[in-house]
Amino acid sequence: MSQSTTTAALPRIKPQRKFSIGKILMWVLLSALIVTQLYPLLWLAIYSLKTNEEILSGQFFALPHALQWGNYSAAMESGNYVKYLLNSLKVTLITMVGVLFLSSLVSFAISRFKWKYGQAVMVMFLIGMMIPMQATLLPLMIIFKNMHILNTHWSLILPYIAFQTPIAVFILSGFMKSIPNEIEESAIVDGAGVFRIFWNIILPVSVPPMMTVCILTFINIWNEYILAATFISSERLKTLPFGVYSFVSQYSVNYGAIGAFLVLGALPVIIIYFLLADKITKGMVAGAVKG
Amino acid sequence: MAKMNIKGVLGLVLAGSLALSLTACGSNNNGGNNAPASDNAGGATNAATEKPASGEKVTITFQNIYPDPTDPKNGMMKKIVKQYETDHPNVKIELDSLNTDQQKQKLKTQAASHEVPDITIVNPAAQMQPYVDAKLFAPLNDMVEQNGLKDTFQDGVLDFYTFDNNLYALPDGNNIGVVYYNKDLFQQAGIANPPTTFEEMIADVKTLKAKGIQPMAIGEKDTWTGSFLFMNILLRTNGGPGFLSDVAAGKKTFEDPAFVEAVDAMQNLIQAGAFQEGVTSFDYNAGENIFKTGKAAMYYMGSWATGGIETSEALKDKVGVFKFPTVNGKGDPNQFMLAPGSAFAISADSKHLQETKDFLNYFMLNFPKEAFAVKGAVGLAQKVDGDFKAAGYSDMAISVLDLFKDVKGGDLSFDNTMNPGTSQGHLTSIQNIFVQKKDSAEVAKEHQTAYESNK
Amino acid sequence: MNVLKVSKLTIALFVLPCLILYVCLVFVPIIVSLYTSTLEWNGIGSSKFIGLDNFNKLLFHDAVFWPAVRHTLMFAVFSMLEIPIALFVAILLSRFVKKPNFLVSSYFMPVILSVVIIGQLWKTIYNPASMGGMLNQVLDWVGLHSWSQQWLTDPDIAMYSLYFVALWQYLGYHTLIQFTGIQNIPSDIYEAAKIDGAEGLKADWYITLPMNVPIFKISIVLAFIGSLQSFDMIMVMTGGGPGNATDVIATHMYRMSILSMKYGYGSAIAAILVVVCLVATVVINYGFNRLERKYT
Repeated sequence: MSQSTTTAALPRIKPQRKFSIGKILMWVLLSALIVTQLYPLLWLAIYSLKTNEEILSGQFFALPHALQWGNYSAAMESGNYVKYLLNSLKVTLITMVGVLFLSSLVSFAISRFKWKYGQAVMVMFLIGMMIPMQATLLPLMIIFKNMHILNTHWSLILPYIAFQTPIAVFILSGFMKSIPNEIEESAIVDGAGVFRIFWNIILPVSVPPMMTVCILTFINIWNEYILAATFISSERLKTLPFGVYSFVSQYSVNYGAIGAFLVLGALPVIIIYFLLADKITKGMVAGAVKG
Repeated sequence: MAKMNIKGVLGLVLAGSLALSLTACGSNNNGGNNAPASDNAGGATNAATEKPASGEKVTITFQNIYPDPTDPKNGMMKKIVKQYETDHPNVKIELDSLNTDQQKQKLKTQAASHEVPDITIVNPAAQMQPYVDAKLFAPLNDMVEQNGLKDTFQDGVLDFYTFDNNLYALPDGNNIGVVYYNKDLFQQAGIANPPTTFEEMIADVKTLKAKGIQPMAIGEKDTWTGSFLFMNILLRTNGGPGFLSDVAAGKKTFEDPAFVEAVDAMQNLIQAGAFQEGVTSFDYNAGENIFKTGKAAMYYMGSWATGGIETSEALKDKVGVFKFPTVNGKGDPNQFMLAPGSAFAISADSKHLQETKDFLNYFMLNFPKEAFAVKGAVGLAQKVDGDFKAAGYSDMAISVLDLFKDVKGGDLSFDNTMNPGTSQGHLTSIQNIFVQKKDSAEVAKEHQTAYESNK
Repeated sequence: MNVLKVSKLTIALFVLPCLILYVCLVFVPIIVSLYTSTLEWNGIGSSKFIGLDNFNKLLFHDAVFWPAVRHTLMFAVFSMLEIPIALFVAILLSRFVKKPNFLVSSYFMPVILSVVIIGQLWKTIYNPASMGGMLNQVLDWVGLHSWSQQWLTDPDIAMYSLYFVALWQYLGYHTLIQFTGIQNIPSDIYEAAKIDGAEGLKADWYITLPMNVPIFKISIVLAFIGSLQSFDMIMVMTGGGPGNATDVIATHMYRMSILSMKYGYGSAIAAILVVVCLVATVVINYGFNRLERKYT
């Protein structure tokens, strides 16, 4: 790959004819996708205002007879919304930072260092990439019991990090391999050490794949429940999925409250995501410019 | 770095476990090799949960399946716990409230690593057998004698939780299988009385169907629902209880005529169009909801469903109950499917065994009174003092209570009798006949195969 | 090419923290599972070493296992077929839409929804018309009653209905990943191509496609991971039923190790799952190494 510096997103093709058939078809497609992909949010919002009977009767288009705001107060108070949200944010943030930090170190070593075992380490990570976390529930339980970290947030954060690193290393090392060598060669000439090269040169350039890693990590752990339910017992340490499932009893389920809880749970995420969406893409572009 | 082949990798692994065991010793600062911005998590959480200051303060972990704060059981549990904590300031009860599926999985994982919480929930008989065999639970023989707790339980119900004369758990419920029916819908179809024979029941199904009324509802995604109904048919065709124990004792096989006859009867009911379309994708709640919203005429379920049906707006004063009828003239309607409920057990390894026993004793003593107050006293395992009618229980609830008086024995559900492997085979096999008609002899054979391969 | 020559200590500093955590929490448990797969053990009581009996039973005498493997692999295949569509959408978005971020983000939304909701939503779509199912009602309404199906309970169809839900849920996910990849293709390449007469979709064929090969690899790996781990959604929608019609490897493993309490047997399934992962990883990497060599 050459050292291309003038870049940015794909060049937008200037509109030649204002209304070509292709364009209309394209907008039909894109709008149809908007409907199918965003409708669930609206559906969820309506759902969260229904009674249990209305929800279970399964009418797709039906509106609630009377708006059940009580679902929201149940979710806020009984579902421990605020406490669980803060716990989820804490666990997710620490996990994300941990994944990014640890995996970028390894990826740097694998893709840039001259050493014998780089490939071997890479293969080790590849092996673990597809292992489902749940398959390791019991061994993890025994390990954490001996580490005395059951019923702490560490019992979630550590496996979350461990299970996210393979895919992160896979993505980051792939990207770092594509960064031209000339960059660090000139840095070495300037007298920069390994750590400076890593911190000042490689990391800033790697923002786009790191964003991808962040998003993947988030998706995989935000709704994670099986590990959390097994390792966490104290009320004050529980995360958002506990709130969702707390409305599921042996012989009854309070679906309305679940809906309300999910709206409340998704809301901060959606807001943050849409606020940052611009920045995320800009970060990606900026990364490309520096590369 | 040259010779670092297998040895090198092993070295890494060893270093890894070493590092982990080191963090294990100083369990308060394990932020070392991971996230930099995170020191308060490990420290703060560890200190509070484990090791009470000087043996004075005691924390009891109470794993339970009453998570829903909008469900009366949750409120009543919290009330008793709070009362106890006020009376015993040195005791703190930590509630770990989980939904049923998750609790089962958690307990299994905990049991495998000997981390059973002070109090947990188990199902009766065959389902708790593996835990008892592994000696994970403390016997409660002495505790149940204190404060007359034993006498509050109905006669015989504790037997389902007793192994080798040791009692290991105290149940929260004791239910029977009944058929709820919607009187209005029966009237609309011109059916005067609830059926007393299975043949009549199938005829009613056809009549209802012809009138455009959904005859029965069931949530067969959860598989045990159909099994519960099927076992009641088997209880009849077998002419009485004990079919499964006869199989287990080697006296019968699943290919016995009584079993095949039961499968036939079940298939007749299904093929008559008794159940709603798409039945295997309806979970328990969605199935029950069809009946609760007044859209189905009959609903076979354990008597625990009474509370939910009673509070349903659409069914006010419209619901009656009847005993499951005889099948081909066989069986006694006074023999019921028995469903002793999930039960509280105490970990044998509990660090505060005595305090935990004291608390559970208190909890169970107060259980019936509080359950009665929140209208959850139908199908309790304990005797209840109180005038149900005066307390506002519905006529339907009272007729369910009357059925209890007629109980002359019966069978436990399949998974409470057989080992888990065979039960899974059975559940799948019965679910299958809901979607496609099969040769009944073949279904019986499937059962026999499942049983033999799981012996 | 790796150029930096560094000391062992530096390598250790970069590699060990992550590797130790990874080995201890991912590798060690897998090895433990391999060991427990040779046991007859209910997960609680005493265990008995039975060698490879579990594998013998699983591979040759388990009527559910092979269909479950097939469903899992089909799941992966369907997820991969979605990638070209995602790429096409991503190209449209980055080429013709002025402010694509909103659209990209919107398409992405289903991924963050909890599986509880996804299950409820799709059940109200797939249910029989008499139970309010949207899809069948619409089919009836447009006069295509003969097309209506028992989407979730017909054993021949249920699995496809589940694939479709996954396709819907992850379309935005793959679109986002492809979109990111396209954003990082330097624009001077396109300008050079324009001089050579390649423009529009033709340029995409000759530039975007080959330049995005590494991104395809990520997408395919993710699709595969998602398929192997497609557990929650199936449990919510069908629970593996009717019968075993919608069981995948993960649900079969759950049924065996947790519900049937055959932990050893469940571990054997887990071991096979690991093997499937390994084969998939090798195949994907081998295939892509050849592709990458061809195009870069």
